[in-house]
Amino acid sequence: MRHVRHSSPFFVLLLALALVAAACGGGGGGNKSSNTGSNANVPAGGTLVIGAEQEPDCMDWIGSCSGASWGYWTANVTTTPRTYNVVKKGAGFGYELSNLLTGEAELKTSPQQVVTYHINPQAKWSDGQPITAHDFKYIWDQVAHGSDIYDTTGYANIQSVDDSNPSTPVVTFKTPYADWKSLFGGQYGLMPSHLLEGKDRDKETADGYTWSGGPWMMPAGGWQKGSQITLVPNPNYWGTKPKLDKIVFRIITDTSAEFQAFKANETMMIYPQPQPDAVDQVKAGVPGVNQFFTDQTGNLEALWFHNGKAPFDDVKVRQAWGYALDRPAIVNRLFGPLGVKNPMNTINPTILKDYADATAWSKYTLDQSKVNQLMTSAGWAKGPDGIWAKGGQKFTVAIRSTTGNKRRELTEQILQQQLQAAGFQLTINNAKSSDLFGKILPQGDYQVALYAQVLTSFSPTNCSIQCSQNIPTAANKFSGQNWGRINVPELTTLYTKVDNELDESARMADNKKADPIAADNDVALPIDPLPNILLWSKKIAGPVGDNPIMGPFFNSNLWGLNK
Amino acid sequence: MFSYVARRMAYSIPVLLIASFLLFGFVRATFDPTARLRASRDPHAVERERARLGLDKPLVIQYKDWLVKFVHGDWGQSSRSHERVYPMIKRALWNTIQLIFWGILISALLAIGIGIFSAVRQYSLADYAFTGASFVGLAMPPFWFGLIAIQFLAAGPKNWLHLADPPLFFVGLHSVTSTGILDYPRHLVLPVLTLTVQIIASWSRYERASMLDAVNADYVRAARAKGLSPRQVIFKHAFRNALIPLVTVMALDIGLLFGGLIITETIFSIPGMGKLFFDSLLQGDTNVLVAWTVIVAAFVILFNLLADVAYGALDPRIRLA
Repeated sequence: MRHVRHSSPFFVLLLALALVAAACGGGGGGNKSSNTGSNANVPAGGTLVIGAEQEPDCMDWIGSCSGASWGYWTANVTTTPRTYNVVKKGAGFGYELSNLLTGEAELKTSPQQVVTYHINPQAKWSDGQPITAHDFKYIWDQVAHGSDIYDTTGYANIQSVDDSNPSTPVVTFKTPYADWKSLFGGQYGLMPSHLLEGKDRDKETADGYTWSGGPWMMPAGGWQKGSQITLVPNPNYWGTKPKLDKIVFRIITDTSAEFQAFKANETMMIYPQPQPDAVDQVKAGVPGVNQFFTDQTGNLEALWFHNGKAPFDDVKVRQAWGYALDRPAIVNRLFGPLGVKNPMNTINPTILKDYADATAWSKYTLDQSKVNQLMTSAGWAKGPDGIWAKGGQKFTVAIRSTTGNKRRELTEQILQQQLQAAGFQLTINNAKSSDLFGKILPQGDYQVALYAQVLTSFSPTNCSIQCSQNIPTAANKFSGQNWGRINVPELTTLYTKVDNELDESARMADNKKADPIAADNDVALPIDPLPNILLWSKKIAGPVGDNPIMGPFFNSNLWGLNK
Repeated sequence: MFSYVARRMAYSIPVLLIASFLLFGFVRATFDPTARLRASRDPHAVERERARLGLDKPLVIQYKDWLVKFVHGDWGQSSRSHERVYPMIKRALWNTIQLIFWGILISALLAIGIGIFSAVRQYSLADYAFTGASFVGLAMPPFWFGLIAIQFLAAGPKNWLHLADPPLFFVGLHSVTSTGILDYPRHLVLPVLTLTVQIIASWSRYERASMLDAVNADYVRAARAKGLSPRQVIFKHAFRNALIPLVTVMALDIGLLFGGLIITETIFSIPGMGKLFFDSLLQGDTNVLVAWTVIVAAFVILFNLLADVAYGALDPRIRLA
């Protein structure tokens, strides 16, 4: 899970059926697949300058400081070798074997899960050293046994990595891990054990690094902190070598300046967050460029109720909110100009459509009579001021979100208006992202919160946010991620199965089965998929497009620049 | 003079110590350096980190530990990036110093020129024009002015005139590819312009007011009566005295600018002190915030000291002893 770009760790499922598959503007583009194709037809040479909205905090991809999505997109996926990539497959997405391996990994499921990889004999680091099984063992050891690690998910399930045959790492699991294809790839690519083992990894990568096992590498001083990250082709890459001389990611954190820089040709590609400023700029038009907007993302923005605290510990109140809100109006206001107008009706991001019941929440449409019925049956009565009250206490709750996020502030204002009309008073009490995700949500110091879950591997991980065993408590030092204190036994059973099942179709079925149960309990209220926006100059040649997990630059080795 | 400076510097030490203690206490009370670990699946992560950072000790002991390390050059590590704080601040400071240097130089020259002219030609059409322009400048929010300047002086002309590059750049202080000698000035113009608009407006008002006081003073009248040329009267007698109040304002403003360029640095993607502060604040990066505030406080104190020293240089009647 990665939470800097859209500010939260987690996930969810699919998309409302009605979400028109990827609203697409301008020329070309789309969700392009794979970084292993040919670039024979694109021009050679040139420097491509890309605007980056965020700078990685660090380049120790395993450490807790590595959460920035832009770090992952710019320097991680372009320089670290990985077993599987997430790519566009037909109408959806899925894992694709990378050129690090010679063939599909062998999966043995009993008596315990064992995965055997066969490393491509041509695969080597930029210094010419081969990529070996020991690099697999090194990553596992660092993630599973290191301190201050970003996320140990999956690696903690591993019992051992056998590196006795350098070209065939054998990974044995102590407990099953369904999303095993995300390991040694996904969040963490491989890192060179021959350069890092026995050293302080954090220190070694503090100013970037010059090793690479991907198509690109950073030259010495390639990371000019606060200013730019430069990539040059890795001469020892065994796959399709980049045709461009250089890619430079310039850090431009102000959205208006980012668009101006793009319009003025200071940058040739931008990937802005769907903030109101960016949507307005897109609406105003950026002539003569390619642009691509999609709701096929790994994101889900939702209203997350505190299911264990009044008034949202009452399912009827949660359901009443479902009927009090005009979610299509909210989505249309936020993202209408991008062609995204329909709300999410599942708790899974859109790209996980095979794991989701995309209509589970579709019954929750604006209906004041249902609000009245549910609230009355829950013991609430409307006061003379039109606000619900119970036991002499008015229905007033505070919503919490991230300070400074204009889109969320706008959403909160719309929510306030809609809820007021339905008899609910909403106040806004936002907090810094570090406080919200580090303290407020884990400790349950909220009633309802607005934030997004962002997928970092192609797999639902609903159990971490909905299973009862993951509720943070004082006893577990608030370490669980079920911040909504969701405690629905059927959901816990289904999601636990999804996490442990190795049969993918069974996982899909169980996860899908859970969606309507979650919707009936209205454990959270999905709002939108946070569409992705990509704009690029027509000078850029090659298969440019969005990849909702790996970012749009993962196949930049196939790009060129027209003169 | 030397003993005065030495004494003032000695006085500055307790001021800095008190300021640093207060700032340290405020930052510690406001931000929790272990917040990012609260979502960790390791239930002991927070406890371990608190012990590692010494947060389980009383505040005074924490401050003492921090201070000893700070004066030895160990400013700690950023909780956000794990980078040492000292090089982070050094890097940011250098970028900010470049902006401040050019901004102050240009602002001072223009503000003084406008101030003198307006005072000497009081109630002339030009004086009214400068006065009006100053009010507009003072009312101009930097975030708005910066974006307007980008549109009308960089992005706009590039598109209207179908140029390959904008005439002025607005991302960072250097281009990725261009290395010509004009590259740096082309990057500096817009941020410096954004930075100087309000400063020129404000300083030129001060200079005008103090020049008016000076030109109407008895000693200036006496100088005129003695038959000195208007140039000599203004520059040798009135101007020097009129600078003293402006120097105070300039010194205070320059000290504050070391931490106050958040908007300019963000709009023009310049990783300076303001941007460092803003990013650290959003992430609750306590070690950076503490060091940052102490450094900015030190600059404020330093520039106040320089202002006092400048008084003596400008007016020999003021004895710095």
